[in-house]
Amino acid sequence: MTWYSGDGFSGLTGAVGDAVRDVRRVRRGWHWDSPRPRTWPEQGSVVPARASDLSWARQEPVRTIRFLIQRGLLLPFTEAMAHPKVEGREWVRDLERPVIFAANHSSHADTSLILHALGDRARDRTVVAAAADYWFKRPLLGNIVSLFLNTFPFSRTGGAQAQLHSSSQLLKSGWNLVLFPEGSRSPDGRIHEFKAGVGHLANETGTPVVPLHIRGAYQIMPKGQSLPLPGPARVRIGKPMSPQPGEGSRQFTARVEKAVRTLALEPAQPDIQGSWIERWRLMKPRELPYEESTEPVQASETTAPPVKAGRKVGPLSTARALPAPPEKPDGRARSAAAPPRASRPKHP
Amino acid sequence: MGRPGAVIEVDRNTPPVLFHFGEGVRLEKLPLGARIVYSPDPLDPIAHPERAIKRALAKPLEDDPLKSLLRRGMKLTIAFDDLSLPLPPMAAPDVRQLVMEEVIDMAAEAGVEDIHLIAALGLHRRMTADEIRHIVGDRIFSTFWPDRLYQHDGEDPEANVYIGKTSAGEDVTLHRRAAESDLVIYVNLTLVPMDGGHKSMSTGLATYRGIREHHNVKTLMSSLSYMNPPDSALHHSCIRQGQLIEDTVRVFHIETTVNNHAFPSIANFMQKRETDWTAQDQAMFLGMKQFTDIAPPAFKRSVFHAMRAPYGLTGVHAGQVDAVHEKTLEAVRNQISVRVEGQTDIVTIGVPYLGPYNVNAPMNPVLVVCMGLGYLFNFYKNKPVLRKGGVAILTHPCRYEFDAVQHPSYIDFYDEVLADTTDPQEIETKYELRFAEDPWFRQLYRKSHAYHGAHPFYAWYWAAHAMDHAGDIIIVGGDRDVVHRLGFKCATTLEDAFEMAEQTVGRYPSVTHLRMPPILLADVE
Repeated sequence: MTWYSGDGFSGLTGAVGDAVRDVRRVRRGWHWDSPRPRTWPEQGSVVPARASDLSWARQEPVRTIRFLIQRGLLLPFTEAMAHPKVEGREWVRDLERPVIFAANHSSHADTSLILHALGDRARDRTVVAAAADYWFKRPLLGNIVSLFLNTFPFSRTGGAQAQLHSSSQLLKSGWNLVLFPEGSRSPDGRIHEFKAGVGHLANETGTPVVPLHIRGAYQIMPKGQSLPLPGPARVRIGKPMSPQPGEGSRQFTARVEKAVRTLALEPAQPDIQGSWIERWRLMKPRELPYEESTEPVQASETTAPPVKAGRKVGPLSTARALPAPPEKPDGRARSAAAPPRASRPKHP
Repeated sequence: MGRPGAVIEVDRNTPPVLFHFGEGVRLEKLPLGARIVYSPDPLDPIAHPERAIKRALAKPLEDDPLKSLLRRGMKLTIAFDDLSLPLPPMAAPDVRQLVMEEVIDMAAEAGVEDIHLIAALGLHRRMTADEIRHIVGDRIFSTFWPDRLYQHDGEDPEANVYIGKTSAGEDVTLHRRAAESDLVIYVNLTLVPMDGGHKSMSTGLATYRGIREHHNVKTLMSSLSYMNPPDSALHHSCIRQGQLIEDTVRVFHIETTVNNHAFPSIANFMQKRETDWTAQDQAMFLGMKQFTDIAPPAFKRSVFHAMRAPYGLTGVHAGQVDAVHEKTLEAVRNQISVRVEGQTDIVTIGVPYLGPYNVNAPMNPVLVVCMGLGYLFNFYKNKPVLRKGGVAILTHPCRYEFDAVQHPSYIDFYDEVLADTTDPQEIETKYELRFAEDPWFRQLYRKSHAYHGAHPFYAWYWAAHAMDHAGDIIIVGGDRDVVHRLGFKCATTLEDAFEMAEQTVGRYPSVTHLRMPPILLADVE
């Protein structure tokens, strides 16, 4: 029987299609999309009882499970949906002490994009502040999110001192902290005023703040949208900044906000005196022309070893000449195309 | 070497054929004896595009080498096609980027300080910065945007100049910067025979005043078809305008052609003939069919519009416009031409999710007509595949769905103009000028990302010849109200459509399915 002559599979798929249509019909009939009537009681209090700070999520074997979930599911999904472009990763590659990541917030996709941008080492040591009155209103949801993203409940509605205490405990324990100083997702994608908590926390604990700007997350999943849509995103990481002596929390917060807004701007043209020609030459990808790449190259003649012959390396950001592969003891060269296998970073 | 195009007759063993259905796909069984026209397989791409580009610039056709035309102190303008070409957008690097990088390298070497790059939009929408970056690449974008790399504005009175009249009395306008340059280099990508040649400059860098001279019902009705320039009044008019432009400014034309490898590996089954489908292709089809059946339109659209085509460069020619375009057309015809014997009573066409005017936007009903009856119907040479008075059957969901940012004038066109009449001639006389001069549409075209107020009219005129030629037009799977507003008939299934068509063309009609995309040009004998 040829693949196209039978009805079996198409019959099954037709049934599935019918089921989906039925669900839609019921949804329309019973107004699933409409808000609940006011008379329906809210479930639970706005701020959950102080049952747990979810410390279980930061212990083994949960950390290993999370590592696997993130590497196997979350990061590939983020990569497929957003192809995130990360700039400034060098600022967080070799962090020697905990830092606070302060980012603009326009979407639920922000957290995944930040974790994607951080790299294995920093990611494994990072907790994410999640709104207690949103994510932890339902314990099951809060626990699942913690398992996936290593979140902890951060109150937006009060208890500033207690919040400061728990956050500083995490920082002292060696955890980096992701904060969204705007306090909530931006309704229009623009950066809104930062709340002073981030400056306060940095001042009290002496922790540096790393400004981050995320572009494109709003288009992927704006506030009010339940499904993410594919779209390009860019995460730009800034230089870590510390409070100056005598600088108040509000002043420091304003400085952090300014840093994030600066990151949001398109890069300025390179600061070069002269015409476009110097700029054009400066931006030339580091590669050899294809005519020369087939010839043996003297190390003293060039700083960049040859790249694949006959292939134009794309934009500047991706045009990194590969270092010559080191030789194995038996004299065979290791493949330059194969990256070293990712290894689990050490725990803090 | 790929196989040439083919016309296959449906027999009992022929698998069902793929029909594009907007942001979805369908498999349909065609009646025994029906014909399916397939495009040729993709030609082998040039192995070293950079070498080919360098060679073309060094040895241009009927012109001096580009290097000898560049000198210190000159005013140089590079113009390039916008994102309406190619479709789907090309996977990076775009061939225009490769060409422009070579040209700019030469300009830098010659010490040309005054250089501008202009996206030749015509009356299309302004592109976003990311869209431009995709076309020109990071290096050009970072060096020139936004001061020296910008987009043509056909409504800016300061930025455009009137050049004069052609021998046939057609007004010609041009972007001021191009008109005042010592040399204009046009970098083109030709996907179909309609593109390129003199049309590039005479529409891409012109204003409404110049474009309306050939984008009108009379000219388009005399273009049989505009996919075959020698038989196209549209192209004759563009050539006259282009020759006047050449008298005004020194033009060096660079045209590139790509093969028809339009779909990435994930959608490989769309590229292949159904008889070639492997188990993997069948699985991919089933997966995509189920996905497109249940996914929300916005989500489907995002997935489809994220696809990038792995086109390969098949030719690059530089030099004098006519000499270059002749070579380009030859290369394009090699890729897409298929010989078809005789006309047919019924022609069926699956309308895909993407046309030139809805990149990153839904295909609204007016654009469905433009795509199905304007572009796809007109992919013929000599005479249409459909006989005069025959029935054209399109498949598309044809929803009432508009992008308010890109297509504001389309919304009014649909709601106001089509509610009154669908006759292109009447529409042109009664409404076009009012839309074209509407200050709000003009503002959106200049400052937002909207198509010009006159653009929906052109989209409609594009289909005027097909609407006049066909005895009946049926849209399968379309929204009934929308299809009726367009002036066509609506059918739920293809079988119903054939049943309806028999009332027009009689019992046992001949049927031909144009399996596009990948695009093909039916050379009808």
